[in-house]
Amino acid sequence: MYFLSDVYYVCWREMKRFLSQKTRILMTVFQPLIWLVLMGNMMNGLTSNSMAAEMLGIDNYLSFMTPGIMIMTTLFSGVFGGISIIWDRRTGFLNKMLAAPISRAAIPLGKMIAIAIQSVFQIAVIAVIAALFGVKFVTGMTGILFMLVVIILFSFGMAGISLSLATVIKSHETLMAVVNFLTLPLMFTSATIFPKLAMPSWLKVIATWNPLTYAVEPVRTLTMKGWVWPQIIPGLALMLIFAAVMIAVSTRQFSKSIS
Amino acid sequence: MKPELGTRPNPIIIEVKELSKVFPGGITAVNKVSFSVYEGEIFGFLGPNGAGKSTTIAVLTTLLKPTGGQAFIAGFDTEKQADRVRSVLGYVSQDLAVDDSLTGRENLILQAGFYHIPRNEIQYRCDEVLKLVGLEEHAGRLVETYSGGMRKRLDIAAGLIHRPKILFLDEPTLGLDIQTRQQVWTYITGLREKYNMTIFLTTHYMEEADSLCNRIAIIDQGEIKTIDRPSKLKREVGEELVKIRFAGGEKNTAEEIEAALHAIRGLPTVKSIRPEHDSQVIVSSDGEALVPLIFEALQPLQVKINSVIVKKPTLDDVYLAFTGRNLRNETADKNQALQSMIRMRRIRS
Repeated sequence: MYFLSDVYYVCWREMKRFLSQKTRILMTVFQPLIWLVLMGNMMNGLTSNSMAAEMLGIDNYLSFMTPGIMIMTTLFSGVFGGISIIWDRRTGFLNKMLAAPISRAAIPLGKMIAIAIQSVFQIAVIAVIAALFGVKFVTGMTGILFMLVVIILFSFGMAGISLSLATVIKSHETLMAVVNFLTLPLMFTSATIFPKLAMPSWLKVIATWNPLTYAVEPVRTLTMKGWVWPQIIPGLALMLIFAAVMIAVSTRQFSKSIS
Repeated sequence: MKPELGTRPNPIIIEVKELSKVFPGGITAVNKVSFSVYEGEIFGFLGPNGAGKSTTIAVLTTLLKPTGGQAFIAGFDTEKQADRVRSVLGYVSQDLAVDDSLTGRENLILQAGFYHIPRNEIQYRCDEVLKLVGLEEHAGRLVETYSGGMRKRLDIAAGLIHRPKILFLDEPTLGLDIQTRQQVWTYITGLREKYNMTIFLTTHYMEEADSLCNRIAIIDQGEIKTIDRPSKLKREVGEELVKIRFAGGEKNTAEEIEAALHAIRGLPTVKSIRPEHDSQVIVSSDGEALVPLIFEALQPLQVKINSVIVKKPTLDDVYLAFTGRNLRNETADKNQALQSMIRMRRIRS
């Protein structure tokens, strides 16, 4: 079967593209840095009191926020994955791939894997920066590796949504608009940046059901608390399902309707 | 320049049978089209925008499914054996579909990967096609530094990496300068000669179709209007014209000219004569052969002639006759306009 080879070449191209864009690499490093330095340190002043510490579950806002930034970064990388499909369609590259005997499913899958690899790279950068700012990952290296599993699954899911949308939406502008419409509310109604305990009760209800909360929960638990399985398993399970469903949906979209 | 095919017809390599494509919304792009292309032929496919040209190519290259009829490429059904079809054909679209952020060689490696060429053979194949289009020295550079002509050559090289039996070239010289266009023509005829490759070509340039193609088909409003050798089409569609300008003033009297025209009217192949401005236009089925006959006939009459011009019908005339409009009459929707803008920018950069 050529399937794996097809996936490899699609992914190889995306990685080459990523690595050839120096500015883009720099941005992926700087963006989390800015979040951590500005937002993190500012909020640290605001939250260095016992009441805040109780809401956050830890006396250091940076430790609370680092997992949030990890999820956010992954969310954005994933959700813009579909743009590359629209661009490929415009430049004719998509038709070039489709006229070749490669598996249709390899196209979204290769792109998803490339996006996940880029996210892993970004998460590693965030972890190093956070550690320099004094964040202690209580589960250590093993914990971080475990976090990466959650993050890869989450990345597959978000990229899957974006890639599936890109098979129906044919313009950048529309896709951007749809994606922004989805991500911003999703982010601010989740426990990604703010603790659930600080939310009004109606928002708390939304946050509890928000998939982002599920994604951030295992990562945060591993960062701040340790191997507390009851707080890890639900998120991990949901991410597994999310990734599996979105892989299925996006590969199906590509196999059935294109151009 | 144009290679002639043997007298014995070559085997059919593309066979289109009653092909139809109706898009959702009821627009019939292609309406029961049938034609065949023979192995080793350079086949020109001409037609105005929106005539069904792109749709037909999309079906033949397996990018679209037909709503009626069938098409066979090298004996494989485009719908049921799409992967077999894909591996025998090369497709070079008009979009310059090369990846700007990769190097020339990386683009080719990618293409080789897409066509399942064994890993240990990839470098060799890359070198082979790079040499063919003369890009060996630039292979290591990022494509974004390439000129439009180099991009086009790279794109053609990519289409050849799996040594296809049939190459689809969609507007291969669109937007290129004269020198590059000549180069591309040389590659195309070279391919046909060296590998006996069948080439299916669309173009908006009539002189290109005329000098390259063994046969051409003209499609309009979803139907094939005609299909034949360019020379034969030209002969069929238009008469040849011989334009004679007699010297005016006291050199020729009206009676002398009248006598001359009378003599010409009696010559073979002359169909009619009509005045046009200061000249007389003679319609003939063979203009070139008529000129010496005219001189012979006029010798005893002593009329003075200023100039003689022979005008043969061009493929433009053929095209106009079959479609009723000029080839460059373009209409396109917003998305197409944007796409072609991007394309032209990339060609010119």
